[in-house]
Amino acid sequence: MTESIIDIKNLTKNYNGTKAIRGISFNVKKGEVFSMVGPNGAGKTTTVEICEGIRKPTSGSVHIFGEEFSKKSKKTRQKIGVLPQEYRSFERLTVKETLKYYSSFYETKRSIDDIIALLDLEDKKDELYMNLSGGLKQRVGVGMALVNDPELIYLDEPTTGLDPRSRRGVWDAIEILKKEGKTIFLTTHYMEEAEFLADRIAIMHQGKIAAKGCLDDLIHGHGGHYTVLLHGFDPKNVNLLGKEPKIDTNGTVSVKVKNPTEISKILQKVIKNDLKFANLEVKRTNLEEVFMNVTGTTIEEGDAA
Amino acid sequence: MKPIAIFNDFLANLKMWYRSKGTVFWAILFPILLMLIFGAIYQGQGDVTVSLHVQDLDETEISEEFISNLGERLKIETIPSDVDGDNYISDNNIRSALIIPEGFESSIQSAYLGSNESIPLSLSLDPTRESVNGIIRGVLGGTVQGWNNDISGAREVLSYQETSVTAEEFKFIDFFMPGVIGITVMTSTIYGTIFRNTKYRKWGILSKLSTTPFSRWEYLVSKMLFMTFISFFSTFLIIIVGVFVWDISVTIDVYLFIIVISTAFAFSGMGMLISRFVKEEETADSAAGAVTFPQMFLAGTFFPLEVMPSYLSSFARVLPLYYVNEGLRDSMIYEDGSGALFNTAIIFSIAAVLFVVGALATKWTE
Repeated sequence: MTESIIDIKNLTKNYNGTKAIRGISFNVKKGEVFSMVGPNGAGKTTTVEICEGIRKPTSGSVHIFGEEFSKKSKKTRQKIGVLPQEYRSFERLTVKETLKYYSSFYETKRSIDDIIALLDLEDKKDELYMNLSGGLKQRVGVGMALVNDPELIYLDEPTTGLDPRSRRGVWDAIEILKKEGKTIFLTTHYMEEAEFLADRIAIMHQGKIAAKGCLDDLIHGHGGHYTVLLHGFDPKNVNLLGKEPKIDTNGTVSVKVKNPTEISKILQKVIKNDLKFANLEVKRTNLEEVFMNVTGTTIEEGDAA
Repeated sequence: MKPIAIFNDFLANLKMWYRSKGTVFWAILFPILLMLIFGAIYQGQGDVTVSLHVQDLDETEISEEFISNLGERLKIETIPSDVDGDNYISDNNIRSALIIPEGFESSIQSAYLGSNESIPLSLSLDPTRESVNGIIRGVLGGTVQGWNNDISGAREVLSYQETSVTAEEFKFIDFFMPGVIGITVMTSTIYGTIFRNTKYRKWGILSKLSTTPFSRWEYLVSKMLFMTFISFFSTFLIIIVGVFVWDISVTIDVYLFIIVISTAFAFSGMGMLISRFVKEEETADSAAGAVTFPQMFLAGTFFPLEVMPSYLSSFARVLPLYYVNEGLRDSMIYEDGSGALFNTAIIFSIAAVLFVVGALATKWTE
């Protein structure tokens, strides 16, 4: 059985009478990327900040590396790396100086040159932080979380506000850390980020974990299906496809099926009846649809709430 | 051109402006504050209590009347007639004194009868307090002029000779330099602390630090070392300019070191306390200004407290910067050991309290 690095039980957090976290329990296993997804205000950052020791829980237990975590857990702090949400570093320190600054607090140190190479920051190592783009700043932030070669890394919304290219750069860095066997607790409100990076996902909604598991389990457990889309299909022939097909305003016919076997059955019907179409597309249910099925809302609507 | 668009933009700007506390402070409160302070200082002399020590060696009705005339505009303190005036002034650290010579009444009576006799009064002033001296000269000159008119129709019967109360010839810059050190250390530590704490909290740096093994107390110590270093750097830079440019004679003793360190700790503590309640970077500026500007103008940096109305000079005595300024002057310029010890003890005590309270108020986490 894989060792739990983080073990949370019945965690609650109230702010002036508002229940931000409503009794959640989960664990993060050694070497996995565990992602907590949900809209702004769902309770992701509060949860991760409690795990980092920035906030105190109202009730419940937080065990990190098997020990009850508190302000005094100096040993534990030596083994964790943190990138807080919306973090900005010292404007007038260079990239290398910033990493050295944080490195100086730890007993175990990872080579600064190694971190700079890992995050592809060689060209920018002597650049002042204030002169970096948003994407580079976030990469420096990830670098700061690595200076002590931590076993556990918290990344709180590391790509929020970044353009797709910069986001991809941060993802690449996380992928490398994952390959190094680091345990990563990642919060995000980008579903595709969790889909791409996470081994297991917890969907947070209104202070509760609405669902959790690996991506396949979440999809199968919460309305998972495939959609076969036939573009340029003659609508008169839809009855020949079976499975209650739908026709959208563009004339595209869509058929929902549960597994790949059913997809091949539809294709056999198309071939057998010599039905014509311009293009065929198969879509799998994604995390965003799972989120909708689980919470009854889209992530954008969740933000507004 | 769409007037409605211009109006909407104007309205939006107005909203943004009044929602920013910093701009409101600079645009409204600061000028009001300046107007109130300077208005109070420079308005009619009636409220101003500038004191003048007077030794009446004549002790006659006429000399008493003359003193009474001066007393209408100045606060008169009496020097006993049976002591040596110069020694008394020196021993009691008196900074403005008038000596009326023996024979004052008889000389005036002679002048009424047509004698050409003149009566020289002896006025001793501290040259470092030019703004106070100006008031004393104005009152004494006006009174002397009035009496001369009455006695002889403007011939100079009464006159005064001015001397310095100090053996050394101090200039205004001697008075001013310690004040510059005081405000420099105050502003750099208060602004530095408030801005740093507010920015670091807003940017997540304090949160980030709280997740590392670096402790809050280690952080405070390192910041105080830095503030103290900067304070000494500024202090010695000001002293170098004072010595080499203005030829100021400066004494560097242990009080100077204690006062500068205490000032750095006192105002850093004050900054930490304020930044506990300042949430936005924009507000930090006005919060720092609200604390530093009144002290800058009221704590005797630019002019002595005697030129202020009594209620303002009483208020100045509760401001930490007043004791910094006075202590630095006593230590560096006047070489007044007892004054330096007294003011150093006060600023040290203030620093201890403010720093401990400020440090306890500085939170990284909940």
